[in-house]
Amino acid sequence: MAEKIELQKVEVWDGNYAASHALRQAQVDVVAAYPITPSTPIVENYGQFVADGYIDGEFVMVESEHAAMSGCVGAAASGGRVATATSSQGFALMVEVLYQASGMRLPIVLNVVNRALASPLNVRGDHSDMYLGRDSGWIQMDAFNAQEAYDMNLCAFRVGEHMDIRLPVMVHQDGFITSHTAQNVNPLSDEEAYKFVGVYNPVEEMLDFSRPVTYGAQTEEDWHYEHKARQHKALMDARPVIESVFAEFQKVSGRQYKRVETYMTEDAEVIIVALGTTVESARVAAKQLREEEGIKAGVVAPRVLRPFPFDAIRDALQNCKAIGAMDRSSPGGALGMLFNEVSAAMYTTSARPVMSNYIYGLGGRDLSINAIKDIYRELQENATAGEITTPVQQFISLRGPKLSFFETRRS
Amino acid sequence: MSLENILSNAQRGQRELGAEKKVGWDEVTQGVVINAFEYDATNVSRELSEDRKYSDFSSYTATVASWRIIKPIYNRDICIDCQNCWVWCPDTSIISRDKQMLGIDYDHCKGCGVCVEVCPTNPKSLLMFAETADGEECLAGWPVKEKKAKETETE
Amino acid sequence: MVEIRWHSRAGQGAVTGAKGLGDVVSTTGKQVQAFALYGSAKRGAAMRAYNRIDDEQIINHEKFMNPDFVLVIDPALAFTDDITVNDKPTTQYIVTTHTDKETLIAGIPALQDKADRVFIVDCMEISVDTIGRAVPNAPMLGAFIKISGMFELDYFLDRMKKVLSKFPQKIIDSNMQAITRAYNEVK
Repeated sequence: MAEKIELQKVEVWDGNYAASHALRQAQVDVVAAYPITPSTPIVENYGQFVADGYIDGEFVMVESEHAAMSGCVGAAASGGRVATATSSQGFALMVEVLYQASGMRLPIVLNVVNRALASPLNVRGDHSDMYLGRDSGWIQMDAFNAQEAYDMNLCAFRVGEHMDIRLPVMVHQDGFITSHTAQNVNPLSDEEAYKFVGVYNPVEEMLDFSRPVTYGAQTEEDWHYEHKARQHKALMDARPVIESVFAEFQKVSGRQYKRVETYMTEDAEVIIVALGTTVESARVAAKQLREEEGIKAGVVAPRVLRPFPFDAIRDALQNCKAIGAMDRSSPGGALGMLFNEVSAAMYTTSARPVMSNYIYGLGGRDLSINAIKDIYRELQENATAGEITTPVQQFISLRGPKLSFFETRRS
Repeated sequence: MSLENILSNAQRGQRELGAEKKVGWDEVTQGVVINAFEYDATNVSRELSEDRKYSDFSSYTATVASWRIIKPIYNRDICIDCQNCWVWCPDTSIISRDKQMLGIDYDHCKGCGVCVEVCPTNPKSLLMFAETADGEECLAGWPVKEKKAKETETE
Repeated sequence: MVEIRWHSRAGQGAVTGAKGLGDVVSTTGKQVQAFALYGSAKRGAAMRAYNRIDDEQIINHEKFMNPDFVLVIDPALAFTDDITVNDKPTTQYIVTTHTDKETLIAGIPALQDKADRVFIVDCMEISVDTIGRAVPNAPMLGAFIKISGMFELDYFLDRMKKVLSKFPQKIIDSNMQAITRAYNEVK
């Protein structure tokens, strides 16, 4: 039996350390990993916890991230609780196996410590890897700070392992800004945490010799479509399960989470939609602008990026006049993902807020409170004019001539 | 143990591969997981295939016989039971028990001819014939031992 | 909100110092943030670490900062790094140096009109004397609590012992000496 750790009521942890304690408390059976900056400490600490007798588990050394996720798939199909962590290039190398994991309905928890994708090589935080994973069939939960990196990990096991869902879950946090920033974290005790996460119940495990099973069968056009449809249904059905897990988590932790987090949106005229630490910085800016300039600013953030909270996004943005969708990923010849998805959600309602797209923070470029305030001021102008007064897509905090694309055709 | 007994399982070769019941998305298995047996299979490795209860998802219950245009015929009189064909057959269609070659599972043989290629006897103990050929006639006309070219030269 | 910027070289312990300070501050019921700007820097490269301290949960994640305190734990960086960038009229500077204050300020034009807010302490000498190595982070913490008045020395030492509890007693003791000496010597 693993030894317990007496945690303080308040610990000062960075996001990585917080995540690794959650993996310890969940008593993850297998971590197969190929460490990469900035997610390295998560799996490193797991290995240390195993070596020190705090986890009855196995750290499996592999030769690449592709092998890491393959090892996780094998261990999960065998019937174990499995987790790992990666970032950026490592995530990209994992992608092929991510689709296998979700297609095989294996509830693996993957900590993705968001980092830019090369080229040019960069170790710092942006959302390129998170965006790369968004069609992989995984549930994606986003933490905005170290506390949430801990909380989301505990919730991720509950959601993914739910008998109606059985899907892998990514827990995202911003590289360095969350992963390497120490902040106050209020952890659960080991007993409380394990009681919340619960004993792992395997499904169709390969080590059940009374019922031999095949994983990874080939299906052609006569079966593939039906299987992918069922998988998508499970992902969409995760929405109420996530809500009930969040509600249970609130009972044990006192901390409330929703599929879409809103801040001061009730009377907001201008709203920023963002992910990661930007959500919290935007809250600082919104509060200051309300006090200093009377701008009715609010913040809306998908806590769960997949399944995309189409329903909750529509509710949250129904009454505002202008929306700035902030995408921290090079948009690759399109409008940003949040701009596209939020616009689509709003277009299925009768509300017609003015939509604009801001690209920012690539490769870890600092996003200052002042830069966010400037966005709110532009949104306020859009709201007042009833049309977009700027180009549709703008790069902000960028050196050189102003870079922007597309003029509005709406007036 | 006779070949007839081994091939007697009522489940074997019941349907064309690909002719299984096409269920809707709501009935397909979770995670495309396929279970091989219909019952507690803990001791299945100690059971003979004809005694096992295979699931409908197992290819044991399917047949690919209709794909075949040429078939191997087995000649017991020449075979030395070396098991080469049993090892090489890609579809486990060579039936062998206690190291004794018994015959061919025509429900699963696709007629690839590998068994003939790897047969070391002279003449071969397995030869390919047209799918419609009569087995008795084939055996009656089986070729005789070929003299090696080298021996011919020295005569 | 109190904001602190550390100027250091990678390997001198600014990140550990910032996190250690965060650990102690968190025990008083306050909220803290400790982070650094380094990434793939080699040992010896100039880097910066940061603390934020507040009564409310800290949700500001910008790296930009108008620091209340600037802590320089490498003597040369005071001259080569831009230690006054984004400062405020009230920003206080604690600089590690082996010279006197007048000589230091004479060599750094940006500090000319800020002399009353500049404090000096020789963290290098103190850490070599007490810990046996040039790890100037611990003495800087002693100097900081003196100048900021944030904690009583005994309270801070007591909490810091707990933060360092996983280390051998000898290391804990030498760190306590370093903190105490810097507390008394900063001027």
